[in-house]
Amino acid sequence: MKKLAGLLLAMAGLMACFCGCGGKGGSDAGGNVKIYLSLSSADTFRTVLVNSAKETAEENGATLDVYEANDSIEVQVEQIKQAVSEGYDVIMCSPVDTDTTLELEAIAGDTPIVFFNSCPDESRLEPDKYMYVGSDEGVAGQYQAEYILSEMSGKDEINVAILTGPNSHSATEGRTGQLKNTLNDSGKKINYVFQDHADWDQAKAEEYFSVFLSTGQECDVVACNNDSMALGVIDACKKGGITDVPILGIDATQDGCAAIVAGDMAFTVYQSATGQGESAVKAAIALGSGGSAEGLEGISEDGKYVWVPFEKVDSTNVEKYQ
Amino acid sequence: MDKKGQIKEKQGIISIRMKLLAIIVPIVVALMVALVLVAYRTSAEIIESYSKNLLESSVENQSAQIEGWLNENIEAFQAVKAAIENTKPDDGQLQAILDGYYNYNSNYPNGLYIADSGGKVFRASEAPADIGNPEDATWYQEGLTRVNMAVGSAYVNAQGENVISASGILHDGSGKTRVISADMTLDRISIIVNGFIEMKSAESFLVDGRDGTILANRDQSLINKKIGGEGSSPFQKQVGEQITARNYEFGVLDGNMTVFKKVAGTDWILVSYVPRQVVLADLDRLRTIMVVISAVSILLLCLVIERVTHVVISPVKKLTAVITAMTDGDFTVTVNSKGRDEIAVMSRSVEQFIHSMKEMISSMGNISSRLGEQADTSDNMSRQMETAASIQSESMGELNSTVDQLSLSVYEIAENATKLAGVVADTKEDSDHVEQKMRETVEVSKKGRQDMERVGEELENIRVSIRSLEEAVNKVGTASGEIVSIVQLIGNIAEETNLLSLNASIEAARAGEAGRGFAVVASEIGKLANNSTDSVDHISKLTEEVNSLVADAVRQTGESADDIGRSSELIHTAIDTFEKIFVNIQETSELIGNVVGKINEVDEVAANVAAISEEQAASSDEILATSENMLEQAKGIARNSANVAEESKSLTASSEELADQVKLFRI
Repeated sequence: MKKLAGLLLAMAGLMACFCGCGGKGGSDAGGNVKIYLSLSSADTFRTVLVNSAKETAEENGATLDVYEANDSIEVQVEQIKQAVSEGYDVIMCSPVDTDTTLELEAIAGDTPIVFFNSCPDESRLEPDKYMYVGSDEGVAGQYQAEYILSEMSGKDEINVAILTGPNSHSATEGRTGQLKNTLNDSGKKINYVFQDHADWDQAKAEEYFSVFLSTGQECDVVACNNDSMALGVIDACKKGGITDVPILGIDATQDGCAAIVAGDMAFTVYQSATGQGESAVKAAIALGSGGSAEGLEGISEDGKYVWVPFEKVDSTNVEKYQ
Repeated sequence: MDKKGQIKEKQGIISIRMKLLAIIVPIVVALMVALVLVAYRTSAEIIESYSKNLLESSVENQSAQIEGWLNENIEAFQAVKAAIENTKPDDGQLQAILDGYYNYNSNYPNGLYIADSGGKVFRASEAPADIGNPEDATWYQEGLTRVNMAVGSAYVNAQGENVISASGILHDGSGKTRVISADMTLDRISIIVNGFIEMKSAESFLVDGRDGTILANRDQSLINKKIGGEGSSPFQKQVGEQITARNYEFGVLDGNMTVFKKVAGTDWILVSYVPRQVVLADLDRLRTIMVVISAVSILLLCLVIERVTHVVISPVKKLTAVITAMTDGDFTVTVNSKGRDEIAVMSRSVEQFIHSMKEMISSMGNISSRLGEQADTSDNMSRQMETAASIQSESMGELNSTVDQLSLSVYEIAENATKLAGVVADTKEDSDHVEQKMRETVEVSKKGRQDMERVGEELENIRVSIRSLEEAVNKVGTASGEIVSIVQLIGNIAEETNLLSLNASIEAARAGEAGRGFAVVASEIGKLANNSTDSVDHISKLTEEVNSLVADAVRQTGESADDIGRSSELIHTAIDTFEKIFVNIQETSELIGNVVGKINEVDEVAANVAAISEEQAASSDEILATSENMLEQAKGIARNSANVAEESKSLTASSEELADQVKLFRI
């Protein structure tokens, strides 16, 4: 009898322990969520993003503290440690270097992380734990392709020139890959008369495209991975006396929009910093209150990403983005 | 008991050892099988998941290494290209540079070569002479699409080798479109690709994602072929389908765990796979080992159970021998009751049992002989009892039939009473109906009488009215009489007036001229008097007519009054008659009421009679049942006493047998 009673007591103790460990001190959904934001460094885009995040947090009654890592992975690691020791519910992080993701996650322990601005490798993400909020680079390329296909719907054969960012850069792969996939799937004959990496750079793009023009090959449209390269191509075309080739960019920068207004550039794609900040905070609140990001707008099927839509920009709506 | 029976019994029993084995062994076997299955499944899942991870990380590293290898080469090419572009060498210098790169690196033994749009080719002097027409060459056409050198599609070069070229536009300011290129053989890339594999028994091949060409494969015959083309294996076909669909997810294709990885900076897809069978080979060994261990453990278990039961059961066996001897009636045996376990306790109990049995059997011998005597006595008694019981049974039978008849009669009475009650009830219903109708009739006649009375009253009123009418008419008669006399008076006056006027006319004529005027007046008065006489005559006539009419009216009114008087009398007579009818009806109604009352009483009585006779019937049933019961019992008693007689006979026999049996025990 005594043995049995002892066993029962031990089991009761174990159960109590499990129950005790299971529930993390309940913070109510939405309100009172403490968010730690570790920012790689502030540029124009990220500043807009962070301001939008602050506003969204305030609207939802969450606390958002912003710390800048000054592009140092050591500082960022220190910041994550600080976030954990000070009992923040959730961390928002734009990684200085996406290769440090695993280290950041290990330090964060049970605290969920919402990554933004720079996308870690898919294998490092987990639904409702380590998520990425941003825009799907592929969609930008797809928008370019859709624009090309609708503008050239009468042609059966399209000669396309592409200027990309650095090889192996995730944005380059996403934007170029989806651009080409969408074009290839159209059923038209697509000739890639020129494809080279001008590494986001306007001067390089101008140089390369001038070289291409000198070979005298035909070209119907030029799609660039960003606006700067598109501006370079515009320069090259102007010098080469070519005016009738539509030039497409991505990012909707001030110069890019100005080029659209001037009629030099045909199309660009706007990445919404405000939208990304807002979505990132919403995801952070959902994870920080112990809930799930399920049901958030733009969540991917595997639950690892929250996609913020790109917006198409051409001469009809460019004034909105200037 | 004979020896044969003993042997039979031994064969029939199932030993405890067998029972234990039969229960424990199947359970243990089931548990072992379950354990092996669960362990196998779980291990398979874990191993597959590990293998997948291993394969993924392997392909990750492999692709990084291929990327590195490729970049290294391309950077070398780029360096040469940059040098040429910056130094802008003349043709001689250019040839020297290209010669310098011949056999410089084993990855591209022929070094770099350059072709321009004019068809002029620069290449290392020792390199194979024929590179075909550059304008038609894949490397040249692809090189025109980029400035930075990059790898293009695979093709077969003029030497019949499967090669892939890194090419790009050389803009050295020569004013011509030039393309610089360097070749790497796919055979070499295959060796490099498979050399980077980290997982044992895994294989890899490299596919160009743009057109599905196999760039590297351990099986060289597949190189530079379309993946999943004619005659290729189902695995290749499935891989081809996934690549066409751009589905680079992990999958088990044709029994191979397969991962896909894009090589960064190219359109190449590295496919790495390991046969599931190979991954699970160790697991199959584990399964075999587990099965063998399980089988050995089960055999061991059987052996242990066999030995343990043997040791535990041996004292039981001895005890069994003792008990078997006891069963044969031999109580002279001895029991070994040493020890402290359950079996020792059992042995001691058996010992005590033997002891008490011995005593009991000896006393049983005595008892059985006494019992024999008693049985004889009881046999006699029971015989007597049987006779008495039969007699009783017969009497009961008679009683029963009498009661049966009684019961039948009672039943008839009950039935009749019920019928009577039914008839009475029907009559009652009818009389109720009659009473109801009678009441209605009384009501109707009452109303009729009232109506008659009212008619009488109305007639009286009419008679009175006619009387007053008669009076009024008479008054009119009197009045017209007066009128006649007045008119006669007027007539007299008129006559007198006429005479006066005649006199006046005569006097006037006498007066002559002076009375001329007066003569006119006199004649006018005379006329007037004549007119008045006419009118009086006329009035007199009218008055007479009036009088005659009034007389008629008076007469007729009188007649009406008389008629009415007669009607009134008739009506009164009718009223009286009605009154009599009404009284009669009323009396009838009362009489009927009485009848109904009586019928009700009869009804109650009849119902009572019916109920009582039913009760009687029920009681007689009970009596019948009881008497039948009694009859049965009497018969039972007779039977029982017969049985008792039988029993006491067999008791006698048994006691004799008992005495014999007791003699069998050896004590």
